[in-house]
Amino acid sequence: MNTSRTLDHLMPGQTARVRRVGSAGALRRRLLDMGLVRGAEIEMLKRAPLGDPIEYRVRGYHLSLRQAEARMIEIEA
Amino acid sequence: MTAGPFTIALAGNPNVGKSTLFNALTGSRQHVGNWPGKTVEKKEGRTTINGRDIVVVDLPGTYSLAAHSVEEIIARDFIICERPQVIIVVVDAANLERNLYLACQILELETPAVLALNMSDEAHKRGVHLDPQALSAALGGIPVVETVGSRGIGLDALKAAIQTALAGSSQPFHLAYDALIEAGIARLAARIGAYPELTAVYPARWLALKLLEADTGIVAQLEREYPALIGAARTIAQNIAETLGDELEILIADQRYQFIGSVISASVTRTGRAQITPSERIDTILTHRIWGIPLFLALMWVVFQFTANVSAPFVDWIDGVISGPITRWASTLLTALGLGGSWVQSLVTDGIIAGVGGVLVFIPVLTFLYLAIALLEDSGYMARAAFIMDRVMRILGLHGKSFLPLLIGFGCTVPAIYATRTLEHEQDRKLTGFLATFMSCGARLPVYVVFASLFFGARAGNLIFALYLLGIVVAFVTGWIMKHLIYRGQPPHPFVMELPPYRLPTLSSVLRTIRGRIQEFVQRAFTIILACSVIIWLLMALPATLDWRDFNQVSISDSWFGAISGVAAPAFAPAGFGQPEAAGVLLSGFIAKEVIIGTISQIYGGETADEADSSTPSTLADDLREIVYTFGQAAVLTAQEAINILPRTANLLPGVDLPEANFLPLEAETDAASGQMNQALTQAFTPLSAVAFTVFVLLYVPCLTALTAMRLEFGVRWMLYQVVYTAAVAWVGAVAVYQGGLLLGLGGG
Repeated sequence: MNTSRTLDHLMPGQTARVRRVGSAGALRRRLLDMGLVRGAEIEMLKRAPLGDPIEYRVRGYHLSLRQAEARMIEIEA
Repeated sequence: MTAGPFTIALAGNPNVGKSTLFNALTGSRQHVGNWPGKTVEKKEGRTTINGRDIVVVDLPGTYSLAAHSVEEIIARDFIICERPQVIIVVVDAANLERNLYLACQILELETPAVLALNMSDEAHKRGVHLDPQALSAALGGIPVVETVGSRGIGLDALKAAIQTALAGSSQPFHLAYDALIEAGIARLAARIGAYPELTAVYPARWLALKLLEADTGIVAQLEREYPALIGAARTIAQNIAETLGDELEILIADQRYQFIGSVISASVTRTGRAQITPSERIDTILTHRIWGIPLFLALMWVVFQFTANVSAPFVDWIDGVISGPITRWASTLLTALGLGGSWVQSLVTDGIIAGVGGVLVFIPVLTFLYLAIALLEDSGYMARAAFIMDRVMRILGLHGKSFLPLLIGFGCTVPAIYATRTLEHEQDRKLTGFLATFMSCGARLPVYVVFASLFFGARAGNLIFALYLLGIVVAFVTGWIMKHLIYRGQPPHPFVMELPPYRLPTLSSVLRTIRGRIQEFVQRAFTIILACSVIIWLLMALPATLDWRDFNQVSISDSWFGAISGVAAPAFAPAGFGQPEAAGVLLSGFIAKEVIIGTISQIYGGETADEADSSTPSTLADDLREIVYTFGQAAVLTAQEAINILPRTANLLPGVDLPEANFLPLEAETDAASGQMNQALTQAFTPLSAVAFTVFVLLYVPCLTALTAMRLEFGVRWMLYQVVYTAAVAWVGAVAVYQGGLLLGLGGG
């Protein structure tokens, strides 16, 4: 488990696969609904001008997550 | 109507052109936005299919039916409770994967459905080729139609598909889950079958699935009356979760997306490599690390210029026509009827025409404001504004999405309050609505304009800009206080927002938006403002002594209006405007901010209007010529102001001094009535008390309509907090300005 990384560690242009959506409740439900399920490919595009939130590309559309939310998503190392 | 009217519903993700398709289908007027979750209101229209009248309901755009947001609950409850005969699932053909997730959930509700592949032209352009027949087959045979809502393409096919779905006896769609989950669904569905009152409302399989997912909405609904069922669902879900090693909520979402993956590979082919779209190229500039914020601020500044300056020439034109020719014509007509100089003439000119004028002068301001907002929304920039601003809004404990209602608050507080529905959480909505009233609304602007131009001439813009800024600062301080004192220690809500592709707003949709909103304003304004204008005229005509012989013959201070204002006035003395007239104006502004200027012109300028219009005899032809001529003048000045946004914006930078266009040098002419009003105002106010007065107008109690909206959305208690808080802040603010100014020696004006 020492290789467990989270989505907020991706640098612009890097791509990863989702391993698991942590968190619970409304946030997890929303992340799952938006397509962040196991195996989904996700690319980090850029950070907002003030550093947060972060823009990703997933399933062909653009999604923005706050850094704290991206930290809830484990990605394949 | 033998079988009752048919109802069909449009469902889909936000930003898939659902509203556009709705418009194309019904021809109705309603707003089309590009903001995630924009369509909160339920919109209804009518269409005819094969000679049959059909009700079309536009459901809120949602990503899911999980019932975690208001929109989702509205959409789900409508589908379950109202049972539309057919649901049109509108999907973005270029972005099928996530769109099909909602489609699956709707199909699982076992209502006849049609899939509309909207914006299919855009998909083709991006090299996405869809096979409608393969898609239909993969989704259990539901009709699939390609449409382009913005150009009305595919409407006939869609209507034919609706008929097919209405007539069809297609099998209910079942998404096949993992064998273990299917076994669990079957067991639970069997138990649900024992409750006929449940199966009458919900499809058993769907309910079983929701209970296994532990859907918060459904569980909360059934927990009380069916504890055994909920308990059984929990046990089954737990067993499955232990065997499969993950929670069912996750597993089910997983498998839905797996199923969608298989649907897509069976029906979609892509030609060419995925390339950078024009939208992405635009985005690299607009949300750029360095340029993003300056561009955002510049855009907001342009929006501001648009509403404040570009609209001004037509405001003046309407004002001139109403107070000039129209008032003259009415007087001439009434004189011909033998009512010249009577109270009837006074009622018509000072009450009715003044009131109508007070409504009409806002049309240009609001037109330009709504134009700007519609362009921001329909282009997709609004979501970027939230993306850029989220870090800042978070300081107030708000969501980046709160920026939208706050921005709309600059137009009008009422739509701002309704716009808070785009926020998922009640706390965010209430707080955003609470702060939105400090965003100086469009109806307050004319008050600033009158006072600023009168007392500060060429530097009027500085005062107006400072007032807007003050409103924002007060909102920030209020938000900060609430976050740190009232909502202390509560976890932040999810942000998770789609950034939709940039799209060129369509002219027809923008115009429909503007027309709809202006219509709404005029309708609302006419009833309320006309009534208020007449009531105020009546209060001013009624002598306080109740001596009817003096009706319409008393001075304002001897009227009822004067008596009421006189009681309230001393409270404003520390702020420098303790006259009963000022209190009266503020009193009327509580009913609607739009009437403030109307009341000012009645109270401060209205009394001598009779002399003014008889002194300028003019023929009908003269008047008509004047109206046309001044209209042309206003059009030229509007163009001039629009062009001048550029140099004015550039001139904000230090060291830049671009010349401004000056097609028509403004003559320093003021018509008699407003000249009268201006003279009265300069006698009643000093520059300092004028500033204090505008500060009070900025901050004090929102108008009656806004309060009504707040009561409906947030409850009576929250509305009362708002009244007390705004009144207190406004009084303190105005007094601080006036007393502070006196201390600094600014009192002598």
